[in-house]
Amino acid sequence: MTAKILSLNVNGRDETILCDGLTTLQEVLRDQLGLLTSVKDGCTQGGCGSCSVLVDGELWLSCLAPVAALAGRAVMTLEGLKQSAGIAAIQQSFIDNSAAQCGFCTPGMILTVKALLDANPEPSHDEILEALSGNLCRCTGYLPIVEAVKDAAARLSGGADAARASEGREG
Amino acid sequence: MAEYLLPDSLSEATEIIAEHGRALAIVAGGTSAMRCGTCRGKHGRGILCLECPGPRLVSVPNAAFVMGIQRLGLDGVAPANGGLGFGAGLSLSRLQASAPIPALRAAARQVGGPALRNMATVGGNIFERQPYGDVAVVLLALDASLTFAERDGERSQTLAAFYADGAKQGGLLTRIDCAAPDGEVVFLKCGRRRFNSPTVVTVAVCIALDGGKVRRARIALGGAGAHPMRCAAAEELLIGAALDPTSIAAAAAAAADACDPATDVVASEWYRRRMVATYVRRALGEIEQGS
Repeated sequence: MTAKILSLNVNGRDETILCDGLTTLQEVLRDQLGLLTSVKDGCTQGGCGSCSVLVDGELWLSCLAPVAALAGRAVMTLEGLKQSAGIAAIQQSFIDNSAAQCGFCTPGMILTVKALLDANPEPSHDEILEALSGNLCRCTGYLPIVEAVKDAAARLSGGADAARASEGREG
Repeated sequence: MAEYLLPDSLSEATEIIAEHGRALAIVAGGTSAMRCGTCRGKHGRGILCLECPGPRLVSVPNAAFVMGIQRLGLDGVAPANGGLGFGAGLSLSRLQASAPIPALRAAARQVGGPALRNMATVGGNIFERQPYGDVAVVLLALDASLTFAERDGERSQTLAAFYADGAKQGGLLTRIDCAAPDGEVVFLKCGRRRFNSPTVVTVAVCIALDGGKVRRARIALGGAGAHPMRCAAAEELLIGAALDPTSIAAAAAAAADACDPATDVVASEWYRRRMVATYVRRALGEIEQGS
């Protein structure tokens, strides 16, 4: 067994990482690159959504992705998106609607909501439930979270120009 | 940890398959094969892990060789001969966005949550253990065929024959093709919740009517046996008959008789058998209402 060295763009920085066989993206983000702890180690079965990241802008479950196949691709964790006005509005909506309790599921939820609102700025109640269906929360129940998503959608469509300007900076 | 091989070409991939044979696990999206138990992959991934408490999973022991198909360019949509054609590595979210048949989009949408669908593939869905594999059930009702790459060329097989053979053939699944459907296609899923639900049973029917009589019928079931299955007994009852409540009830009863569902954490064999009857009746009823 030989370890492989590969380059991966994480949060806008090119990183050189070392991986072995089926090392997952989650393991690299949490253990090797250190402190990217918004990526949670929840179920490691793709069932809870707490390890969600964006790979080339698409929502992925980092616990199921062998990192060796991702050479040269761009990965964003919540840490890398924190300068985005869109993310700040979603975070504030979660705070204002008491949508976080222990906070373990929250980074995955926020990335999922970002992916939802990027694709669909005015989601219906059902579309929100469907978008969040891969993210488990064991504390709050889902009502405050769904309310937070509706609130975030309203905030972002109110300030769409500011949000778009910020997206431009980030990309 | 398993050795992870990432070939850049089909010829390289088929060489790897020929070299390693049964010791090789092929991984596409990884949404089943990469799952692990509480050992966090120390004993392997997606495997029957006797040392982990909790759910026991099936597939990639640490000693094995694993081949990823990500670099083989199998993620396209390439219709051939006026039908539908999908690369085996096409993600379910792309299938959901692009499939021209509503039933196929509906089935893709019923698999997991959005993040999982961005990773899971059409090809992978065909190899899913029951009761998973909702998309495969629609492909079976569409009489899809599979193309496998092997070292000495390509081989094609219908999906129905593939399952009937016990999915034993070697080779790398590269494409899934089906003719444009010659009739109405309906897919229904009986789950435990509205979104991201494990499957109790799924039903896909493709019915062609001619002058009020059924000219062709394909009825496919998921969660109702060892693999997605066609239900010949129910199909034969319908062909040549008018599609009405009597023939529909007879077909639904025949499907429930012919299926062989398992009992698992999602549902019992007893409940699945009843849901097969209910959902076959509803699916055929939708076509009757629309005709």
